[in-house]
Amino acid sequence: MATDDILLQLSGVTRIFGGLTAVDSVDLDVQRGQIVSVIGPNGAGKTTVFNVITGLYKPSSGRVIFEGRSIGGLAPDSVLRRGIARTFQNIRLFNNMSVLENVLVGQHITYPGDLFSLTFRLPNYQRAVKAANQRAIELLSFFGSKLVDMKDEYAANLSYADRRRVEIARALGSSPKLLLLDEPTAGMNDAETAEAVTYIQRLRREFNLSVLLIEHKLQVTMGISDHIAVLDYGKKIAEGTPAEVQHDERVIEAYLGRKTTVVE
Amino acid sequence: MAMRKAGQSSPLRQGWDALTRQIGDALDNRKIAGRPIRWYLTGWRGGVLALLVAALYPFIASFSPDNAQTLISTGIAVGIYVLLALGLNIVVGYAGLLDLGYVAFFVLGAYTIAVGTGGIMKDAAGKVIQIPQFNLWILLIVGALIAGIFGVLLGAPTLRLRGDYLAIVTLGFGEIVPIVFNNIPFFYGAFGLTAVPPAPIETPIGVIDFGSFTDHTAFYFLVLALIVLVVLFVVLLRDSSLGRAWIAIREDETAAAASGVNLVRTKLLAFGLGATMGGLGGVLQGSYLSHVDPGSFNFNISISILAMIVLGGIGSLPGVILGAIVFRFFDVYLLGVINDWISGTFLVASPTAPLHFLYNLPNQAQFLITGVVLLLMIVLRPQGLIPNVRRQRELKGEGVSAEALSVVGALEAEEISEVAVVGLGAEDATEYAGPGSDARGREE
Repeated sequence: MATDDILLQLSGVTRIFGGLTAVDSVDLDVQRGQIVSVIGPNGAGKTTVFNVITGLYKPSSGRVIFEGRSIGGLAPDSVLRRGIARTFQNIRLFNNMSVLENVLVGQHITYPGDLFSLTFRLPNYQRAVKAANQRAIELLSFFGSKLVDMKDEYAANLSYADRRRVEIARALGSSPKLLLLDEPTAGMNDAETAEAVTYIQRLRREFNLSVLLIEHKLQVTMGISDHIAVLDYGKKIAEGTPAEVQHDERVIEAYLGRKTTVVE
Repeated sequence: MAMRKAGQSSPLRQGWDALTRQIGDALDNRKIAGRPIRWYLTGWRGGVLALLVAALYPFIASFSPDNAQTLISTGIAVGIYVLLALGLNIVVGYAGLLDLGYVAFFVLGAYTIAVGTGGIMKDAAGKVIQIPQFNLWILLIVGALIAGIFGVLLGAPTLRLRGDYLAIVTLGFGEIVPIVFNNIPFFYGAFGLTAVPPAPIETPIGVIDFGSFTDHTAFYFLVLALIVLVVLFVVLLRDSSLGRAWIAIREDETAAAASGVNLVRTKLLAFGLGATMGGLGGVLQGSYLSHVDPGSFNFNISISILAMIVLGGIGSLPGVILGAIVFRFFDVYLLGVINDWISGTFLVASPTAPLHFLYNLPNQAQFLITGVVLLLMIVLRPQGLIPNVRRQRELKGEGVSAEALSVVGALEAEEISEVAVVGLGAEDATEYAGPGSDARGREE
């Protein structure tokens, strides 16, 4: 693929916490339209990579380039405005807000920001409100009519799988170009996981998205990824197509070598 | 001390529960013109009703001619604190930023009017500067703006702090501002300044004198009008995308930022707007007392306003208004009445009377009494008199009702790693439960 198609490019990204190098000069490319997975044992630095991309952490060194512009060190909301949205490993919904309100917060950047417009409900603000409400329903109906029916329910009262869905709907609210999903099937049973796999593929198709995925379940990553990067101790130890990664000795060692010690 | 069995509540709580149940039942079941009383008290209907009562208050007060002006003047004192409570509620109630130095903005507003009504100031060299006398309307705007600007100036470097740290920094600011006025000769230090009352205004319906010392009614209505404006403004903010962003920040700052809420800007707006209302209150206070000195603005005021909004129901508009009214009315008026009544009874009044130790005790024990009332509130009704629904849910621990949740969901509320144990095979679970799970271990 031509390099013009590179949407997100990390080069030499490092993040150090005190004496711990959580992410050690990682290079990673996401092409437009791809689903890319980042896998690796616990503590490998996967979520830290996500946090650096989305601006929650500043990179200690290295460059994060999105659509040809550097976004390293931007505030989270600026990163979102550029077109990168995310979900969290441990679902960070606003629990005491309704499902609809959660998705509306996701569309915060579509509202006019000036105090005057919103206090006096000027036409531009009213248009934004109308559009956001409409869009929220659209986004919720991506997951079927169930969430639409539950739109006035507090987010805390939803089932686990539904909360994951709402979080994705919230992330889609900003109409991102790249969606970062941090373990979207964690805590889900097999049926729910299978459904999640389907909707991740639908996300790419219907919203014209690229997806960067952290996932532990190999049946998920192997099935839907175009490209997989493997992290261990903050370093990228392998990357390639699912088939290539699956047979990479370093990957097997990182995964299975660890697991034996856990079993003992 | 006798131990109660688990699950058995104290007589105090039982009595309280019975009382609140009765009030609740009365609100729901007693009907006026076919509607339950609660219907009349909720939403805008409650607001209109409250406004009506407030507007009639001076006339109600005039039924007791001896006392009328004292009552109206009390109304002003209460009203000013309602404004302050409304402002602090934006900061603490909506955006969830604990501000313990709110008095700073109150001071700035008060000094604005003191300086702006023809103060004769001396600069560092002792040269006299005569400040022209500005009218009240301009000073209201200027005072609010100055306080708002200082709110933003204080907020800009400090709002990246969270929780306790922010509280301590704001506490410092609240201490510093009065001290600055105390130490600058330009402001006459501890002596303070005199604010000249606003001049009477001639209108087609007669002369309106906001500055009258004998009839406080005009000033009362001025305060009331400003409260109405501020309430309307706050309602518009609360129900806008900005209000939602404030709640989002309060619930989960990280998720809010990742959803596109600009933390710095959104918090600064809350802080600045809150400060603006503090400034407005200060201008009114300066005009009302017609004298401003640094000693009368202390930490107690910051804490009292905070106590008012907690008492009323933090984050709830009718709650904080009621909280301010109850708290302040007690402080300014009721306590004195109780004090005089107790001190006047024959068992107390004379120095030889058996209960003479009660003489003037209520006045002296003002803080003790408010403290006990607040303590009881925290125990019996932590959500406040008129609670905010969301806040009430937050108090009950993320607002998770056990019945509404599946087993997995209930566990999830406790700790994410346990969910993995339920949701995944045991083999995978060992991975999740490991100490290195990067979101929890590092995302601090």
